[in-house]
Formats: sequence, C-alpha cells, structure tokens
Amino acid sequence: MADETVQPLLQFEGHRHLTTRLLLSTLTGRPIRISKIRPSSTRPGLTPYETNFIRLLDSVTNGAQIQFSMTGTTLVYRPGLITGSAEGLGAMGGVLRHEIPRECARRGASWWLIPLALLAPFAKDKLNVVLHGEGCVTSATPAGDVSVDTVRTAILPLYKSFGIERGIELRVLKRSCAPAQGKSAGGEVQLVFGHQVRLPKTLHLMNKGRVKRIRGVAYAVGVSGSNNARMIDTARGVLNNFVPDTYIFSDVSKSPLITSSSRGKGDASGKEKGAVGFGLCLVAESSTNCVYSADVASPPQGGVTPEDLGKQCAYQLLEKISAGGCVESTSLETVLLLMAMGSEDVGRVCLGKDVLATEEAVQLGRDVKVFTGAAWGFRSKGMEDDEDEIVVSVVGRGVGNVGRKVA
Amino acid sequence: AARMHNRKRAYQPADLSRLMENLELSPAEVVKKWRGEEDEVEEVEDNSEDDFFNKSKVDDAANTEDRYIPFFDYAALEEKWEDEDNIEALKSRFAVGHMNGKDGG
Repeated sequence: MADETVQPLLQFEGHRHLTTRLLLSTLTGRPIRISKIRPSSTRPGLTPYETNFIRLLDSVTNGAQIQFSMTGTTLVYRPGLITGSAEGLGAMGGVLRHEIPRECARRGASWWLIPLALLAPFAKDKLNVVLHGEGCVTSATPAGDVSVDTVRTAILPLYKSFGIERGIELRVLKRSCAPAQGKSAGGEVQLVFGHQVRLPKTLHLMNKGRVKRIRGVAYAVGVSGSNNARMIDTARGVLNNFVPDTYIFSDVSKSPLITSSSRGKGDASGKEKGAVGFGLCLVAESSTNCVYSADVASPPQGGVTPEDLGKQCAYQLLEKISAGGCVESTSLETVLLLMAMGSEDVGRVCLGKDVLATEEAVQLGRDVKVFTGAAWGFRSKGMEDDEDEIVVSVVGRGVGNVGRKVA
Repeated sequence: AARMHNRKRAYQPADLSRLMENLELSPAEVVKKWRGEEDEVEEVEDNSEDDFFNKSKVDDAANTEDRYIPFFDYAALEEKWEDEDNIEALKSRFAVGHMNGKDGG
C-alpha cells in the first residue's frame, strides 16, 4: 500500500481526452494531475458533464481521491479500486442510479456509457448502473456523441472478441432526444455488465471480411412514427445497392414526462414533456464480425427532413466502411484500450489509414504510452505500400483486474 | 533519387511511430504530417528538435470538444456515393447474396 503514496502524479494538460485519461488512470491505478483545463475560455474549468462523469467514476470505485482547484482548471485524481455496483457503496439492491442533471444535456448518454463499459470488465463485482435524469439523452447529439443504440449494437458486441461476453446488456428504458436550450431530456438507460474477467484475451484482428448485413434502429420520440418510415426508406434506397440484407427496426415512443423540480411552472401535476426528435443509427457487420456504425439525429432546433437524415446516415455508413480496417473510429478507443489492458502479449489489429490518422488515435497512442510505458508498433499489412491498412500492435499490460485474482 | 521518392510518400507506418514519439508536435500536426499535407515542413524535419517554431497554436484547439461522430460534409459525400465508380469500388467490400457465390475470397 505504501507504494501508492509515492507514485508520482502523471501530468496532463488540456480538457481534451479527459474521460480517456481518467479511465486509463483508474485502470492502471496511477494518479494523474490534469492542468490547464480550458484556461482561456469564458467559462474556465471543468464543465458540468465532466464533473458529473467524475462523480460517476467515484461511485463505481472505492477509495478514489479527487481534488479540484478553485477555478476548476486543475484536477488531481487518485484512483481507487473498481468495485462495480457493490452493495453499500451507493448502490441500492445491486443497482446504482446515477442522475445526470439538466445542465449536462449537451452530451449524450453514450459519453458516460462508453467509458463506464470499459471499466466494467475490471470491476470486482458486477456492474449495474441506471443513468437517468433531465440531462440523460439517449439519442445522438449535436456534440458528436453516438446514440445508445450504437453503444448497444456496435460497441458492446466488441467485448466478445476479448472473451467478455456473458451478462452484458444495455436497456433503453426511456428514449429521449437532445433538448433545446432550457428544455430537459429525461431519458433512462440501464447498463448491466455481468462478466468480469481477470484479463481480456489477446486480440488478433487482421481480416476485415466483407459486409454481410446491415441493421439499424430508427427512433422517433414524441413525434410521428412516419418519420421513422421516411428515414428508413431513404436509407434503404442508398444501401440496397450494396447489400440486400438490410433491416432497420423502428421504435416510436412518447416523449418522457419529467417531474420537474427545478421550476414551478408547467402544468398542475408538475410534470413537463421532454425534448422531441428523431434519429437513425445504422450498423454494418462483416463476415468476420467487424462492425461499422453510423449515427444521425435531428438537431434540437429542428428543420431537417427525415429523408435528409436517412440519406446522411447511409452515406456516413458507406464512408466508414470505405475507410477500411477492422475497427472504425467510434470503437477505436474501446478496442485499443482493452488490448492495452490485456495479458503480456502482443495483440494486433488492422486499422484503416484514415482511422489511424486522427487526432484522437494519435493522442490515445501517446496517453497509453504514458500510462503503460509501451508504445504501439506500426507496420503495413501487405508487402507493398499500396495497402491502405496498417497493423497496430499493442503490448498488453498484464496486470488486469486487481480485484479478481482468479478468473 | 530514392530519397526524393521516399519523401513524397505519405502514410508510412515507420513515420507514424517516429512522429508519435516526438512530443513537441500536437496530435493535429502529427496527423497532418503523416498524411503528407504539409510539404514545406517536411524539409526541416531533421532538425525540428531545436528550431521548431512556437507551438502556440493550441488556442483553436481549446474550443474543440471530443467527438465520437466526426463532422462530415454531407453534400460532398452525396456526390461521392452517387458516382458509379465509387459504388463499384466499394462493392468488393460487401458479401453480395447467393447469386455470385464464391468469386471473391
């Protein structure tokens, strides 16, 4: 235990990649200090959703220490043990209810869910978290977060290739859309992650295969279901040229009622309707179980036809598929972090050049190196350089789940 | 001649690991260089350790946020995917039905 106190703080700067760094810190057990968080912004320091994420992190771990500076531009985080939804630590009946208040509605629920799912396999006990509240947006958001349907259909299945497959479920209890200024979302989504492992399996993913089917979910919240039909129709119109096996589910739900505590007006019951909207998420699956996803949603101010959205989503999917590689940009973080947390062996994954040539990927590579000490290796896949794919090899850290010495 | 030839090639895997190690470059600059979009900077790369110009360009990055869905220019995408050549090129990435069975591994 003494070694924890002498561990030096790893220094970082800036607000970008905050969740990734907190995640890496928690997984590797190394304390970090992040400074210069939006120093020159008109609203300096951490945003409400970032502090809310730290709070969530605190409730699934035990013994974490978090310190903010007065302005919130500096953060010191000493991670604790990942306990999951253990009884007595904020969880009631094995379920941890985490509220996302209204001021966090800028980000979608997936912004919380993707990092949370990454912690879950390394927890001591199974994880069962319900995200709810006025700021819980289940659809895709203008801030660039994917919808929870994408998390469910495109990201969680990836854990299977790491040998993590049992008891993983994401339930959308109440759908909601990105709210306009001053409105609430009010979605509710439950993540059950029941498969904890000692170490994720080493991944070798070299063959991207061919896309064999496309699935999707079209959702309409508080608006007519014909919006779904129109989105599906145009999306299929584009995609039918490529693959006949396209099936898009349609989900029409009412806008969630919110018991508003923050304001007195509204109708007599004190409830108000959440934001309305519609959106589409498409997932293409290849013969080797590589997935590519695309996501669009109507903006909160409205003014977009479902036909446009359907088309945009289909084009976005084609673009992702054409970028190549076994892993697309949305799930890059999940796959590469799980590889880095694997056993002390070299895992390999094949990535498209343009997937790798993004700021996120480069920064992720640097951050992983800072935390684990091992840099990624790169080589081209084929003999000649006309190949558009690059093999990234990642050395696992070989420590894995400290709460679980026996698998 | 070989030197000239080499320099022009973007997306070399070996370059990427070298660029990633060089912590003086911001991720955006790494991406740009690796893609070969900044030709004039390539020239001075050898002594970039010392005379690397001031890296005060972080300000425009200060307002950006992390995104999972990148921005797309949908008009350009529509044009791209209406084009028959592009459609045909991408079709090889799809397993098409039963009718043309096993003509592609």
